[in-house]
Amino acid sequence: MAILRTDNITMKFGGLTAVSNLKINLEENQIVGLIGPNGAGKTTAFNMITGVYLPTEGKVFYKDMDITRKKPHEITQFGIARTFQNIRLFKELTVLDNVFVANHLRLKSNWVSSVIKTPRYITKEKEMHIKSLELLEKVGLIHVKDEDSYSLPYGMQRRLEIARALATDPKVLLLDEPAAGMNPQESQDLMGFIARIRDDFNLTILMIEHHMQVVMGVCEKIYVLDYGITIAEGNPFEIQNNQKVIEAYLGVD
Amino acid sequence: MKEKTLDTISWKWWLKNLFTNKNSLYTIIAIIVTLIIIGVLNKTLDNYQIRILNLCAIYIILALSMNLINGFVGLFSLGHAGFMAVGAYTCALLTMSPEVKQMNFFLKPMVPWLANVQVSFPTGVLMAGIMAALAGAIIGAPVLRLKDDYLAIATLGFAEIIRIVFTNLQSITNGALGLKGLPNTVNVWWTWGIAIATIIFMILLIHGSYGKAFKAIREDEIAAEAMGIGLFKHKMMAFIIGSFFAGIGGALLGHLMGTIDPLMFRFLLTFNIVLIVVFGGIGSITGNVIAAVIVTIMMEVLRVLDGRMDFGFIEIQGIPGLRMVVFSIMLMAVILFWQRGLMGTKEFSWAWLKRVSRRMVFRTKDC
Ligand SMILES: Nc1ncnc2c1ncn2[C@@H]1O[C@H](COP(=O)(O)OP(=O)(O)OP(=O)(O)O)[C@@H](O)[C@H]1O
Ligand SMILES: [Mg+2]
Repeated sequence: MAILRTDNITMKFGGLTAVSNLKINLEENQIVGLIGPNGAGKTTAFNMITGVYLPTEGKVFYKDMDITRKKPHEITQFGIARTFQNIRLFKELTVLDNVFVANHLRLKSNWVSSVIKTPRYITKEKEMHIKSLELLEKVGLIHVKDEDSYSLPYGMQRRLEIARALATDPKVLLLDEPAAGMNPQESQDLMGFIARIRDDFNLTILMIEHHMQVVMGVCEKIYVLDYGITIAEGNPFEIQNNQKVIEAYLGVD
Repeated sequence: MKEKTLDTISWKWWLKNLFTNKNSLYTIIAIIVTLIIIGVLNKTLDNYQIRILNLCAIYIILALSMNLINGFVGLFSLGHAGFMAVGAYTCALLTMSPEVKQMNFFLKPMVPWLANVQVSFPTGVLMAGIMAALAGAIIGAPVLRLKDDYLAIATLGFAEIIRIVFTNLQSITNGALGLKGLPNTVNVWWTWGIAIATIIFMILLIHGSYGKAFKAIREDEIAAEAMGIGLFKHKMMAFIIGSFFAGIGGALLGHLMGTIDPLMFRFLLTFNIVLIVVFGGIGSITGNVIAAVIVTIMMEVLRVLDGRMDFGFIEIQGIPGLRMVVFSIMLMAVILFWQRGLMGTKEFSWAWLKRVSRRMVFRTKDC
């Protein structure tokens, strides 16, 4: 059974069709790539899946549940988390608090218990704290946990975004250009890291990437978008040798 | 949401925690010291000065309630005077004796169901908070879907509507005549007791998981939502809690003044609180407390500017409003030099104090 499926989703902005009839199918534990040149509609696809945009047409299914009209926070609660291409950290919060607050959605106490500090709330808060520290350890940011998140260098901010998304306990993780701004070596390391978190957290991952080469090694399946249209889909080998893909990427890479 | 909050508290455990934790112990000591100072001031100051002391506490409550909405959640709300009016009128109407009410309502008699009610002052204050919170819930549901300037205009409009409604509900609020002879029950223990309770409440709320969720919304709504934080729910929560404390502040202010009328709750009142919040640092509890005290005292000190001034060689006739001009210039200076108020979003904390004092000790050793 597909864990995440989009059924011909289309997004129109006025006269511009940013994504048309996109059909994505994610099986559990897969790492899938969504690639395409600038303005192909990749981020728009993410925004439709996560409820930021309501698709003009089509539906999104999570484990056979129709989530098309759900709010972004509900979709995250179901188990779909994301990172942002143009990093959106909580700037005035510390690195640790950025991750801590992403646990908030699983807190089952109400605000009164958080003020009077019931034992149950305290226990839960401690758990959240420990979990956040573990996640920071995992992404290698534990040494900067008390810094303000805006003071981090770019690469660290990207990793913090991943840690924050993981804190929401997702089943599906959507990564929007996690390797942006990294050199080839860093990109490869990141791909190794992504494969590791897939195993450690039992995740299904959909990853946007600009450069085809980066995702070739790690993705089992790749979708290629160009001007909103899915021009190819298949395993890395098929994609690499697809004539349409080569044409779309000519002059880009 | 199934959790029953009250029955899970074990008081023993809670108290043990309170006294074994050094920081909470310091806090308790600080509170006791504050109360002793208030007690001493209460004995030594004259009536006018005690009134200012009371005003300081009331403005602390008001500033913190606005700071929760505007500072921590980052909502641009300007409806404070409206919630204060609801609180002030609720408490006044519930605590005034039937005889006093009858004297007040000479133009048009009061509605019978209200004319004979009289509750104790604490009940009245609590009801003031609850009614204001209710108003917050009713107004919040539609307007909290708006953002930024739109929200500001909508909340401002709400406050004005409240004022106009109160002016016209002659048989309930006594209209433009206002209410005179509110029970003279407010003293420093009430105002400062509630102010301290408010400070503690806000600190506990903001340091908890919900407080962090509020800040996340302030920093980036889209990211907060993507982390599973429901925007509407959390905004409503902060708005209603903030309105509750605004209502309580309004009730205390009304009783301190002894008279209330709709004109008292104009935008200028909201503006005074905005001043304090901006001055103290949007999003800093301690900054707001300090600013509330400074601003309240300055407002009184600067009152001389509105009156006649005689410098010996030159005599200035009273210029009403000069006080606000000077005050606004001071605010601009603060914003220009400190950018984000006295404290920004930073807080005073025991850990911070320890760090600073340690640094100072090291410095003196170096010399
Ligand atoms: N909110 C919006 N309103 C109008 N047009 C939009 C909006 N969002 C995206 N677009 C347009 O839709 C198209 C697809 O944009 P999108 O951001 O999805 O591309 P992308 O594949 O993520 O590109 P990049 O690699 O640059 O991130 C672009 O032409 C963009 O200008
Ligand atoms: Mg994009």
